Amino acid sequence: MEALGVNLPGLIAQLVNVFLLLGLLYMVLYKPMLKALNQRSTRIKESLDQAEYIKEQVAKTEQQVQERLEAARKEGQAIVAQAGQAGERFKEEARQEGRREAEVIMARARREIEAERDEAIAALRREFADLAILAAEKVTRETLDRAKHRRLIQEVLEESSTFKGEGA
Amino acid sequence: MLKLSPKTILGAVGVLALLVASNFLKGPPPHIALPAEKVFAVFGFPITNTYIASWLTIVVLVGLSWAATRKMAAVPRGVQNLVEAFIELFLNFVEGIAGRENARRFFPVVTTIFLFVITSAYLSLLPGFTTIGIVKTEEHGQSFKVVEIAGLRVAFVALGAATVTEASGEESAEGIKGELVAFLRGANTELNTPMALAVLSAIFVEYWGISTWGLRGYSTKFFNFRQLRQGRIMMGFVDIFVGFMELVSELARLISFTFRLFGNMFAGEVLLGVITFLIPLVAVLLFFGLELLVGFVQALVFAGLTVVFGVVAVAGHGEEH
Repeated sequence: MEALGVNLPGLIAQLVNVFLLLGLLYMVLYKPMLKALNQRSTRIKESLDQAEYIKEQVAKTEQQVQERLEAARKEGQAIVAQAGQAGERFKEEARQEGRREAEVIMARARREIEAERDEAIAALRREFADLAILAAEKVTRETLDRAKHRRLIQEVLEESSTFKGEGA
Repeated sequence: MLKLSPKTILGAVGVLALLVASNFLKGPPPHIALPAEKVFAVFGFPITNTYIASWLTIVVLVGLSWAATRKMAAVPRGVQNLVEAFIELFLNFVEGIAGRENARRFFPVVTTIFLFVITSAYLSLLPGFTTIGIVKTEEHGQSFKVVEIAGLRVAFVALGAATVTEASGEESAEGIKGELVAFLRGANTELNTPMALAVLSAIFVEYWGISTWGLRGYSTKFFNFRQLRQGRIMMGFVDIFVGFMELVSELARLISFTFRLFGNMFAGEVLLGVITFLIPLVAVLLFFGLELLVGFVQALVFAGLTVVFGVVAVAGHGEEH
């Protein structure tokens, strides 16, 4: 064995070396490394769980947003419809109002026209009476007194129903 | 007319240059010694070149580990990333054989064995191993060039300068004549180191067995008298014989561990020396590649077998449990 180089001091020395290496590596390599690897694996697991949770939350939120959007759309449509109806109503009211006002204006205009016509007829009648008197004076050459004459014409006019009927 | 491409010409010139160089750039004939050589002594205790290599291995491994774990970052970078990748890979390897639970128990010892074997093997491929040292004056040997570094006379193997001489250890213009005792020699190229690793492996394998089954339970693997006590003489003797065989195999493991590693590492060292002597310069590169493979395989085999023996020790042995 000695020729092969095996000896107890040498074996013990190398045993010390390998146990020393084991101890040192345990302190500076295995312990911190395994701890770090464990930490990392738990952290990765946690992150994955969290990611899953967040994904669920996002899906839920998206659904909520969709629902809310749908509701808002419906509400908007309702408002638009309502506004349309209101507009229609306003238009109708405005039209009615206009028609009423127009009728009032036309009625007034008609009354004024009638009044003016009556006025004109009355004026015409007076003119005509004067003219008739003048004409009769010229024809008869006799001068009737003015009051008697006027009463005479009035009587004639009263008798002529057609003229009176037109005047009414 | 032969047409030669520049590549062919370059190759031919290279081969020619090698042939010429091989005449005067030859390595010396390798000095082959089984025991580790004493470099110096501390209080009478011889310090051999393999101890120094072991310490160098320890320093390199611990230094690298320290650098990797000094400032641990959650997102690993640089050396931490490298070491972490290795640790994870190796942990998976051990888990693949031993299962999740046992792997954590086996891991430190197994990884230490792997790292020590592969690192000492790879370090011994560095220049300076087995080529720089002091000269022990002997009756026969070679002449070595000597340089003085900090008062220490350091000899080295010079390519082409080596001639085998028969002269005694006198100093001449060529250098000192004698045998070179290198400062560094692969830690596993002497028998004590692989044997220490085998003992480490065996101690922990038995420890794992005992800590799983208890001292009494585990010892029945080797000394099983149950059948004999129950009066079944034939089966009793078979059990005793099986126990004896287990004991023998346990010892045989120690020896096979030791000599497998030693044989491979020592042969590698001798092979490199011989190739350097026979074909200088380039050819030895091929064998460096081979030695890289051998170092890895031996480390893996030693570590892997330790895991397997650990699994066997931890697993149930026989129907008595």
